Amino acid sequence: MNYEEDIDIASEVDLVVSAYPVQDDGLDEELLAADQTTQQYQEVQIPEVVKNFIVFFHRNILENNVYELHSIYEHSFNKLTEKFYAKESWPEPEAISPLVNDDQVFLTLYRELYYRHIYSRLTPTIEHRFHSYENYCDLFNYILNSEGPVALELPNQWLWDIIDEFIYQFQSFCNYRNRIKNKTDEELAFLRDNSQIWSCYSVLNVLYSLIQKSRITEQLLVSKNGGDMQEAAGEYGSRPLYKMLGYFSIVGLLRVHCLLGDFTLALKMMDNIELNKKQACHHAFSHILTFINRTKQYHTRSYQHDQINKKGDQMYALLTMCVTLCPTRLDENIHSQLREKYAEQSNKLTKPEEALQVFEELFLFACPKFISPNGPNLDDPEVMNLTPFEPVQHYTKIFLAEVRHSILLPTLRSYLKLYTTMGNAKLASFLEIDPEQLRTLLMMSKIRSRQTKWVSGTLLEGEYQGTSDLDFCLKEDMIHIAESKVGRRYGDWFLRNINKFQDILGGLELTTKA
Amino acid sequence: MVRVSNTPSSRPEVIQSLIDGVDRYNPDNVSILEEYLAAQCSNKECDAMANLAILKLYQFNPHLTNDQVVNNILVKALTTLPEPDFNLCLYLLNEQMVTEEPVVRLVALQDLIEQACFADFWKVYEGDDIYKELTAEVLGFEDLIRNNFANAIAMTFQSIELESLQAYLNLKGQALTDFIKTREWTEANGVVAIPVNKDNEAKTTVLTENIKFEQLTKIIGHSNDA
Repeated sequence: MNYEEDIDIASEVDLVVSAYPVQDDGLDEELLAADQTTQQYQEVQIPEVVKNFIVFFHRNILENNVYELHSIYEHSFNKLTEKFYAKESWPEPEAISPLVNDDQVFLTLYRELYYRHIYSRLTPTIEHRFHSYENYCDLFNYILNSEGPVALELPNQWLWDIIDEFIYQFQSFCNYRNRIKNKTDEELAFLRDNSQIWSCYSVLNVLYSLIQKSRITEQLLVSKNGGDMQEAAGEYGSRPLYKMLGYFSIVGLLRVHCLLGDFTLALKMMDNIELNKKQACHHAFSHILTFINRTKQYHTRSYQHDQINKKGDQMYALLTMCVTLCPTRLDENIHSQLREKYAEQSNKLTKPEEALQVFEELFLFACPKFISPNGPNLDDPEVMNLTPFEPVQHYTKIFLAEVRHSILLPTLRSYLKLYTTMGNAKLASFLEIDPEQLRTLLMMSKIRSRQTKWVSGTLLEGEYQGTSDLDFCLKEDMIHIAESKVGRRYGDWFLRNINKFQDILGGLELTTKA
Repeated sequence: MVRVSNTPSSRPEVIQSLIDGVDRYNPDNVSILEEYLAAQCSNKECDAMANLAILKLYQFNPHLTNDQVVNNILVKALTTLPEPDFNLCLYLLNEQMVTEEPVVRLVALQDLIEQACFADFWKVYEGDDIYKELTAEVLGFEDLIRNNFANAIAMTFQSIELESLQAYLNLKGQALTDFIKTREWTEANGVVAIPVNKDNEAKTTVLTENIKFEQLTKIIGHSNDA
């Protein structure tokens, strides 16, 4: 049975559908009682096609039909959303409960979509936030604490989205909690009485439990070092649901730790994930951007398209800052894209008088939406009068304090490039600073041109190496400068094309044989 | 030289398993980590990873926060600059702590060190007794800082006037002569010569392509097929 056809038929009953009164959920006034009262008149409002969809959806969940679920999740749900629920929430879970024989597992999964839809299309109320949290607890409880592994199977995309959304809602809640100025007394009381909801500890607990249950760390070690995968994975981890949730939770932890400002711990999380470990962040960004660039055409119709583009832009912004702080050669394509998007900013970053402001703009645009782990102290009667702690500003301040020292370096570099030897006093006069200041500037530049580079071992280990193609030394007051040149690289290009050619040849031979 | 800045060889087993696992979130363990910090303060070692774990516990459980411990962690982090430890610590402190007097003072010192304003650093440091009080519990603070400065100087200079060196290291007379000797630098006519090392030699190099055998395996495989 194909639901997309059904939707087309449904367009004919459009009139009937639009005649439904727009559901004005009383949730805002009546906090919890609303759930029960809305139930009766909900049932009549569900369009037939949606009813059928839910029954079909439920059947496929029962049958663990991952293939069909994938298309339900990626296509049908979104199409129906566009059609019926673009501006209102999906039917209350209680309203669809009779359609699915009150199947609690299905209802939990449905609620996951239901609340996610509210978060993305509408403005979640405090009740939505709390109920969604409770629903996630139910879901993870079912997965983690049933007797033995559960038989459920879901498409990988959905599993990823569950972890992703769980963290997004946590982040959104922290920011919401932080803004106490325009909250009603009821909302404040709610927050005060339920401090464990969306707490850091509970969120970390879920992610760590998924990692432990799936034995994903052990599995990754086996795939790296060899060994018995079956034994490493165990009863839970050998099932795709657990394995993927565990894997995605590692990435989830990376994100949570970043949001909380613990960048060391964030990196440590990735120890067992096979990354293409290269020097510094430039290369990671370049790599991903090349990927985005090359796959762009395939994404244009996907609903994730906008998000990928946004992330891409943010990465270009970060990359712009990276190459300013630590000049390196970039991939030709990436470089031209960068110039296209951030030429003006790039240019300004090298000018001492404008650099800081641009650094701030780019950082604010591209940084994660940092969160405060605890929120304001609601028991403190003075709290309403204090300016709330804004984590983003706090992090921006520290970041800017760090880059502030570097703003003269691009100018210094541009002068050094012109000479092989040069007197300290002469360069100081070019830069309009005094010779002693120049010396400290040179020492700082020297220190900053070295960084820890990953060679082997865990992600947090490395060797101290130079990064700059420009090096210098001081003999008393004379600066000696040397520039490294990079010869052209042909090998990679030829290797790629030889392989491509071989593939074509191989393909031709196959067709002639056939 | 392989530098493994994040795991000192002296890190005890208990600490290792604590920071590797979920136990790092257990508030009951804060005292173990605090004792370990005290040990680092007296034996001149620094384990940034373990110290960040203390700040993490404080971040989640603000009522546990011990200002003296935070202070010592930051002072320790000053001694490892230009490693990023100091800023990594700052990111874990809440805004209130960052605006308090001791932290502001230490940030001021960090600022000078990061900008390689070594002479100014000593002027500020010696100019107010409060700095010696703040760093009192970290044994050998001045020596550790001086060594880091000397490293930066050795990276940049092949020769430097004795007078500048004196200001950068805050050493005079015999103490300075001794320091120069332990570093295996040589002094003549008021100029100190620093032996060439891989950082202070500024050599022009041309990086040429280097194709590894592994890159060619696929192509060699093809030639076998034919």
